[in-house]
Amino acid sequence: MPRPLSALPGSPNQARRMSTTRKVSLSVSKVSINHSKVSLSQSRTVLSRTTSGLTEGKEKVSLHHPRRHIQVFDELGNDVTPRPLFRPDPHFPGSRKPSRLLVSQDVSLGSDYAGSYTMFQNTLNPSLVGQFTRSALGSSTVSKSSASTTESMGEDLEESPYRREAVSIYVDLQLKKEVPKVLTKEELDAEVDIYLSETETLWLFNLPTVMHSIESEEAEKIKERNMLYETLCKNRAGNDLYVERVMQTFTGAPKHKEVQCDKILTEEKGIMSTTWTLYDAYNALEFPASTMKPETGKSESMLEVVRKDQDSKYLSTTDRTSENSSTIDVESIIMIKIHEEEEDRSELILKSEKFQQDLFFMERVLMENIFQPKLAAYRQLPILEGKEEEKKKEEEEEEEEEEEEEESYPQVEKVKQSEDDEDTEVTEEESVEAVEEPIPPNLERLWSFSCDLTKGHNVSSMAWNKANPDLLAVGYGQFGFREQKRGLACCWSLKNPLWPERVYPSLHGVTSVDFSIGSPNLLAVGFYNGTIAIYNVQNNNRVPVLDSSEFHQKHIGPIWQVQWVEQDRGTAGEEKREILVTVGADGRISKWVIQKGLICHDLMKLKRTSMDKQKKENEREKKSEALISRQAPGMCFAFHPRDTNIYLAGTEEGHIHKCSCSYNEQYLDTYKGHKGPVYRIAWNPFCYEVFLSCSADWGVNLWQQDDFKPYLSFYTTTHVIYDIAWSPKSSYIFAAANEHRVEIWDLHCSILDPIVVNIANPGVKFTTVLFAKNTDCILIGDSEGQVIVYELKNMPIHTESGREDAIDLLLGPEAHSI
Amino acid sequence: MAEVEETLKRIQNHKGVIGTMVVNAEGIPIRTTLDNSTTVQYAGLLHQLTMKAKSTVRDIDPQNDLTFLRIRSKKHEVMVAPEVPLIPCNRKCSSPL
Repeated sequence: MPRPLSALPGSPNQARRMSTTRKVSLSVSKVSINHSKVSLSQSRTVLSRTTSGLTEGKEKVSLHHPRRHIQVFDELGNDVTPRPLFRPDPHFPGSRKPSRLLVSQDVSLGSDYAGSYTMFQNTLNPSLVGQFTRSALGSSTVSKSSASTTESMGEDLEESPYRREAVSIYVDLQLKKEVPKVLTKEELDAEVDIYLSETETLWLFNLPTVMHSIESEEAEKIKERNMLYETLCKNRAGNDLYVERVMQTFTGAPKHKEVQCDKILTEEKGIMSTTWTLYDAYNALEFPASTMKPETGKSESMLEVVRKDQDSKYLSTTDRTSENSSTIDVESIIMIKIHEEEEDRSELILKSEKFQQDLFFMERVLMENIFQPKLAAYRQLPILEGKEEEKKKEEEEEEEEEEEEEESYPQVEKVKQSEDDEDTEVTEEESVEAVEEPIPPNLERLWSFSCDLTKGHNVSSMAWNKANPDLLAVGYGQFGFREQKRGLACCWSLKNPLWPERVYPSLHGVTSVDFSIGSPNLLAVGFYNGTIAIYNVQNNNRVPVLDSSEFHQKHIGPIWQVQWVEQDRGTAGEEKREILVTVGADGRISKWVIQKGLICHDLMKLKRTSMDKQKKENEREKKSEALISRQAPGMCFAFHPRDTNIYLAGTEEGHIHKCSCSYNEQYLDTYKGHKGPVYRIAWNPFCYEVFLSCSADWGVNLWQQDDFKPYLSFYTTTHVIYDIAWSPKSSYIFAAANEHRVEIWDLHCSILDPIVVNIANPGVKFTTVLFAKNTDCILIGDSEGQVIVYELKNMPIHTESGREDAIDLLLGPEAHSI
Repeated sequence: MAEVEETLKRIQNHKGVIGTMVVNAEGIPIRTTLDNSTTVQYAGLLHQLTMKAKSTVRDIDPQNDLTFLRIRSKKHEVMVAPEVPLIPCNRKCSSPL
């Protein structure tokens, strides 16, 4: 029976005694522990040697420390041995009861550790709580807890050596251990009092009970819960719901895995989205008919276009894919195509209409470039002042170049003519030099409408388009019977003086052209063989819209004039209807109406009258003169500007007949003044009483309507006068084209001489003359196929120009003197 | 087709015209009267400029379109007639004095 031990550290002797008394009872465990302890101590500590003595004899545990502790001295002899981290706490509170068991064992184990250990065991030193929690707890709970903790105690006991051992390292081995005294028998028999005291209570967890009043609202619930909890606690022991288990998550073994994919091809693509691409996109959605040809592949070499007789349509349908213009990035997508397809596509490009149009524009722009000063002069635009000198040089150069260019055409006459023009005309440079002198009116040559096609043809008539003042129709055909050859009708545009816009070739010479008023796209052409044709100039079709060649009522002789006339149908109350009036050498003046084709009516049959008259006067009885025809060939006609029912007709006889549309048998009046065929009659555009006539008898006559004798005659040359024209700006000015000269007369200035005379070079005849409507220009056609545009410069300005009564003033006092 | 050829020839033979070129949509010359290096150079440069000009015009008003482009310099003048879109663009370039 172990006696109560005194745990005083100061009594190692007692401890020793205790150990000896207890030795028997706990020998087994002690020894085992001892052995383990000692062995450990041997292995661990330097002082194991000292404890070796312990293993041999347990009775006498030499508590006396052999003082073989390490002592470190420094150079100076100071004691600098490291001190233990732990200082034994002199405070020894706490119960000894639990420690008793341990202490006894400890003491038996080793004296070295006894003191320290007891201290450890007894004291709940806060510094050691952390290290010895379990053992301390174990010791503390022995006194309090139930039996279940004994098990833990046992565990503690098992483990405590290790713990202690851990501590023992830190243990200051210098800890003085008193040498246990040998206990005498008396001392052993003496009763020792052991006092146990309770240690302080360490609160580790405190869950105070919560009290609720029975009368509270939740009382019932709480009671239920309490009941449930109690049943739960009762059932807890063997309940499957509450099983203590330990879980361990298995961490899977990681494994490296490598994956390699194909290289991802990246391509950069950019599109710029602009306002118009969006617009195109929306439009394309609305109009999916627009197609776009796919782009061709790039080729480094330049393509020589090989003409292939392939069906281009087939190619175009297969190649066309409808793509949105906004989605196509021109530089990005390159499709590889075969060489042939590229060539075909370029063929297509060349054939496309757009290309043609572009070429058209390009040509016009070029012309504009070249002819810019001329056109500016034509349109009476001011030529830029700043570049005056350069302009002059340019003009000079241009003129020279034009001359050179004209030389390229194998036409000698042109060059001569241009030189001649320059000689005769007063050029701008000269005019600028001689500023002070009054400059007489002159013609300045601007340019000429001419090209290879028209070379060699005789210009027979010219007419302006009624709607587009820049469009000019020129008819080419020979006048004489023997010189007949193929003819030509061309439409020229001011914007391109070097190539006609429309070319209508024909078998027969063209004698007259005129544009329609009502439908300005219709061009009526009269031929030498008596047929008329109506062309539509809107398209480039060379086939006439209407042709009179199959009419039985067509003219038999050459048609000398065609004119579109707007006639009032006053009686019927309809609108103005436009008719085409033609006069032919067969002596008929007929009107043509376009109603489902051409319908022809005869307005007048020109009968010979002079013969009758001559007969009457000279040879009344002579009837032997055989008339080939009773018709007098009509050469020209002119409708009254106001009254479209009245017209004048000139015949080959030299008579001018005034006729009316209402009567197709009788003349109203006859004006006899010419001795040769009357080639042209022209009413004065301002004064409706006056008209001009020119004839092959070298003369121009000015008539007044009521007078049957010419009022004024102009016989200045000995050449046939082919054409006359009134100036649209002044009622005094008219132009006359005879074979060698073009004369411009100003009646206000002089009635004897023309104010301007333009001489042609030899070999070239001037055949037609036409005034330009809005500008001061005159067009002169000659027998070489040229239509030359002249600008009238320094024309005298009359304040009375344009007044209707102006010429009456002129004629006034002499009007009635015949 | 013949008319096109004729017109092209007429323009080429015009006085003051140094050369003409027909270029397709990507800037590859189809026809030219100039030498190779000049053609390629002009084609490339003008293509870009024309596209830019067209883009400018259409940005201002999408319903509008570029009809003609003229570049006047000290020595020459370059004229470019681009085509309306939706059809492979052709460009002509001629340089009169």
